[in-house]
Amino acid sequence: MSDTATIPVTVLTGYLGAGKTTLLNRILTENHGKKFAVVINEFGELGVDNDLVIDADEEVFEMNNGCICCTVRGDLVRILGGLMRRRDRFDGIIVETTGLANPAPVAQTFFMDEDVKRATRLDAIVTVVDAKNLLARLEDSSEAEEQIAFADLIVLNKMDLVSEAEAAEVERRIRAINPYAELQRATKSAVPVESVIGREAFSLERILEREPDFLTSDEHEHNEDVMSMSFEVSKPIDPEKFNTWIGNLLQSKGQDLLRTKGILAYQGEERRFAFQAVHMIADGDFVGAWKEGEPRKSKIVFIGRNLNRPQLRRGFEGCVAE
Amino acid sequence: MSGTVSDADFLLQTRGASRELGAWVVSVAFAADAAGPAFALGDGTLRLASTEPGGGPGAGPGAEWRSVAAHDGACLSLVADIAGGFLSGGDDGKLNHVTAGGELRTLADFGMMKWVEHLATHPSGLRAAAVGKVVHLLDKAGAKLKALSHPSTVGGVAFDAKGKRIAAGHYNGASLWFVNSKDDKPRVLPWKGSHQMVAFSPDGTHVVTTMQENALHGWRLTDQQDMRMSGYPGKIKSFSFSGGKGRWLATAGADCVVLWPFFAGGPMGKPPIELAGGDGVLCTQVACHPQHEVVAAGFQDGLVLMAEIGSGKIVPIAAPGRGAISALAWNASGTQLAFGTETGFAGVVDLSKR
Repeated sequence: MSDTATIPVTVLTGYLGAGKTTLLNRILTENHGKKFAVVINEFGELGVDNDLVIDADEEVFEMNNGCICCTVRGDLVRILGGLMRRRDRFDGIIVETTGLANPAPVAQTFFMDEDVKRATRLDAIVTVVDAKNLLARLEDSSEAEEQIAFADLIVLNKMDLVSEAEAAEVERRIRAINPYAELQRATKSAVPVESVIGREAFSLERILEREPDFLTSDEHEHNEDVMSMSFEVSKPIDPEKFNTWIGNLLQSKGQDLLRTKGILAYQGEERRFAFQAVHMIADGDFVGAWKEGEPRKSKIVFIGRNLNRPQLRRGFEGCVAE
Repeated sequence: MSGTVSDADFLLQTRGASRELGAWVVSVAFAADAAGPAFALGDGTLRLASTEPGGGPGAGPGAEWRSVAAHDGACLSLVADIAGGFLSGGDDGKLNHVTAGGELRTLADFGMMKWVEHLATHPSGLRAAAVGKVVHLLDKAGAKLKALSHPSTVGGVAFDAKGKRIAAGHYNGASLWFVNSKDDKPRVLPWKGSHQMVAFSPDGTHVVTTMQENALHGWRLTDQQDMRMSGYPGKIKSFSFSGGKGRWLATAGADCVVLWPFFAGGPMGKPPIELAGGDGVLCTQVACHPQHEVVAAGFQDGLVLMAEIGSGKIVPIAAPGRGAISALAWNASGTQLAFGTETGFAGVVDLSKR
């Protein structure tokens, strides 16, 4: 997914009124010399200021492979396929989802469809949240949580409407769900375009590159539905044991596991093995060599629901080579 | 090696014409009243290989093929029209008619953000254009007859041989509509997944769709039995029933041409035959000769060939190396074969007896 001949796709999620379209128009009008094709799924009050805007219906369908969480956005397969016939006219694609969209089928489209995989790459999932209303949204919708759980960048918007104490509480709640995303505070969606576009967040080379922001690392948030857990081992991993364990885990718990990411030190291997999954759909490969003197620790991160910490820890530790 | 390449290119070099058109060839079609084919491109133009004087189709080396600015965006679909000339659909929401001489007229405008993605015509005087979830039926004069709605975006449309029914592929199945029915309720053929291109077997007894997965699905209409035709290594982006009695369904999506027998009780329980395989290169386009049991095939590496279904004998048309074949079509009499590639190469070969 890191082939540079492919066209980068940025997915923009967030609740209606959070400031998605404002951010979109900012990206489109800023003077960066890049042209984008924009796929939108709902018309807000604001128009989209771009030459190439495509109207999509969020059409999610199940792959006919017996796997109930293998859902794909059929409209994206179709539209991205059509856009590839004139790929010389733009440098990137931005997909704006509706406020109620679950990001999983969007992300899975980039792993499951061979034409989409061949021509495009998922650059990042960017989620715009409204600092004033997020807590209420988290109470009443699972989509709001999922949009945060899937995000690589979270734009905490409308900062002018909240006090510092309110902002800190919103950040704490975001961090409890997803400590791995970058968080940027903003007013009127004003964030630097380069922080949104060209993140390569789904590139295996960049997996777990960022250190997580655990605001309160010891305090567990028991009332959150979606949470994250990370585990580390310093002994080398047996690839066969790992594959068996992770394969079974994704198979049986895939619906609860939203995103999984790992960097592994395989026994007798000089290169790092990077791994990621969206629900059950996994992708992994060797990336660059371990650096001289760098501790060869294996690390795995889960973001999801109903995560059983002792069970996951035992499972991961059980992958250590004898 | 160079000997092989020039051999494979012999027919294109000696009996064909070709151009670098500079944009993805989306589709190619022959009209009844045009000497050569039209190519629909990703840059929104149609190129007519029919307007120059001299020898074979599109002859006159170096001469420009006439360009018609058909769509503001990309061409998405192209068919020969029943009123002569061509119908083209674009991602500018327009359904256009282009005459053999290159004159353009917009028949319908569905709005800038709508895509006119699939077209079909029937000589009885019917035109169909799929735009999103709706299949619009138009008559020969361009008047709108009906708008047939589906539960999700339509992936392909086709008339049956008699022009009495139209089929549309969509999510979780296909819908069959009687063109002249008053109540306009479709017969839905269900099967989970995303269905795209659709075709009736020429005898009208079966409907087959291509799927988002690497598979075909079919229904026998007499008893609505399902047929699963899977095991392809790639997506099936092209299929075509053989000419004459329509006994074979040729399909792309494998490293050979896969042909399913639609006779003697088949295709249920009958294995397909495979032609022109062995190179490990994916077949991307197929087009059956309109009269004989001969199939033309285009491959990922740019190779175009034709194969006789009975004997498996293969004749190369164009050598590899000019981009993956993205469009392939015969003219109605089966004397010309045209092809185009993802990188904008287009060719037409005259195969008539001399």
